[in-house]
Amino acid sequence: MRARRALVLLADAFLILLLLAAPNRPRELARRIRLLSHDAARDPALRRLDGSSAAFDRRYFFFLESARRRVPPTATGVAVWMPSPSEAARNLAAYQFAPLPALLRPRELPSGWVLAVYGPERPEGWREIARVSDGALFTREP
Amino acid sequence: MTGLPAGLAAVAGVLLLAGAAGTVATGALFGRAGADPLERLAWGFAAGLALLAGYVPISLTLGARPGAIALFVLTALVIGMAVLFRLPALRIPAPAHERGSGGSSLIRLLFLVPLSLGILLYLLRALTEPMWATDFLAIWGWKGKTIFGAGLLPAWTWRLPEFSFTHPEYPLGLPFLYAGISFVLERWDDHAMALLFPALQVATLLLVAGWLRRRGAPPPVPLAAAATLSGFEPLYAAFTTGMAEVPLSFFVLLVGTALVDALEEEAGGSRRLAMAAAGAAALKNEGIFVAAVAGVLAVAAGGRPGRVRWRAAAAALLPAVAVLAAHRVGRGSLPLRDFRFGLLLEPGFPSRLGLGLRTILAEVLIPAAPGLIAFGVLLLSGRRSTAGDRLLALTAIPLSAYALLPAFCVFGPDWLARTAFARTAAALAPLAAAGVALRLAPLLEEMRDTGYEIREEMRDTGYGIRDS
Repeated sequence: MRARRALVLLADAFLILLLLAAPNRPRELARRIRLLSHDAARDPALRRLDGSSAAFDRRYFFFLESARRRVPPTATGVAVWMPSPSEAARNLAAYQFAPLPALLRPRELPSGWVLAVYGPERPEGWREIARVSDGALFTREP
Repeated sequence: MTGLPAGLAAVAGVLLLAGAAGTVATGALFGRAGADPLERLAWGFAAGLALLAGYVPISLTLGARPGAIALFVLTALVIGMAVLFRLPALRIPAPAHERGSGGSSLIRLLFLVPLSLGILLYLLRALTEPMWATDFLAIWGWKGKTIFGAGLLPAWTWRLPEFSFTHPEYPLGLPFLYAGISFVLERWDDHAMALLFPALQVATLLLVAGWLRRRGAPPPVPLAAAATLSGFEPLYAAFTTGMAEVPLSFFVLLVGTALVDALEEEAGGSRRLAMAAAGAAALKNEGIFVAAVAGVLAVAAGGRPGRVRWRAAAAALLPAVAVLAAHRVGRGSLPLRDFRFGLLLEPGFPSRLGLGLRTILAEVLIPAAPGLIAFGVLLLSGRRSTAGDRLLALTAIPLSAYALLPAFCVFGPDWLARTAFARTAAALAPLAAAGVALRLAPLLEEMRDTGYEIREEMRDTGYGIRDS
């Protein structure tokens, strides 16, 4: 009886281990190893560019990183303007510009904020202060 | 220094130093011979993380910029206090087999292979790329990066309604931890910092194995529990890396094991429970809830004297309340953005409840059915164990609450059930694993014909160590 019980427990334990091993698909693991070895020596921004957070629009990440590097030191926040906003775009913009507050298409632009436009659109009444990848940075006309 | 290997070495160095300092401080949490070495390492790591996260708000409150010097001063103070309040070495020596090396080499190998694989696979999943989970970018990482970059916690982070998506009402323990590591490194490295998560996994496994071993579980049980847990992908996933679930799961296990110890009057049990409850409450609102449940379970614990029960309840509740109060003082009162508990009184509530439960059934329970059935077999095969059942109660009550919570979600019960239930429930897995392992321990011990139950009985009658 004890032996049978022990066997059932052992089989059950192995079933659990098998179930736990199941999500580890070799193809996915190989992809991870390839990505890790490809990116390990690269700049952190390039590693994020290659990663999942930028996968929805890698040009958008390039735009954000390019804009982040050109934001004037006097800016107190960044408003991002893009044709098709999404939750992923909002989160990535907020994260990339931190510690500056950054919002996607805010209703009002607080004073001291710059406007980062993703795409070819150029808003009227704004002065371009820098060209960035796939967009430009603007401040209010004085 | 932009490459990943250098960043990883730096983060590993910070974590090792913090863990070493924390381990020294554990003299105040255990009697000198009162812990399994593995368990002590896990508590040391937890204390180290508390130091790394805690020196940031302390420095900011004092008007100083956080950095290595501030961390060093706080660490020295904490170690000094720990030496001053260290516990004496009082303990009934464990039977020889309990401190054994883990059974026969074949059994050890049988479990060490999946254990090592589980750790390596999570290491790979966590470190493949910079942390990317939605909640890392929008909540935990964003706050940490903001605190580090600004050198303070700017008031706009919780005052501007446009940033409500960052959940200003969430506890700040994890953002302070990220910022704390970054202040020491003097840079924000959101890829190398992912190493924190496999380190938390290892600490959790050490705690499971060490605590079970100290409680006298026969050799294969601690190793088997750790091996099974190491491969638990719903918790140790690429997606959860960067979010609060993995650290919470560690601190919830600390709460559970310390609750059991405190109720059995193990030396330092109440102190450990207080520290774990503060840590859990600082990490996530679910941690506050778990601390509250631990307090209620302590009061309701059968067969224990009133002063033991109330002291354990106080150890669980007071630190959690203190953490809540500190947040309240710092940021004011912030409502829970996703929930409206007034929905309970509205006529549509039963259908909301049904929708939430149906979504959990269809999207979480049915796909996970084979694993859950196997888990159920192990659970039911075990024998009653007061300690194990306490851990399982501490698992089951929050789990039931998580199942009911979607009914109160303003974005719809199905949305919350779909996006949050699986991962919040997964954070209870270490607790459940330790509980089931304790139930299985007497069964395996019976097969060896030795006296596990006698030892368990000695503990249940309080024939153990008194808190000093």
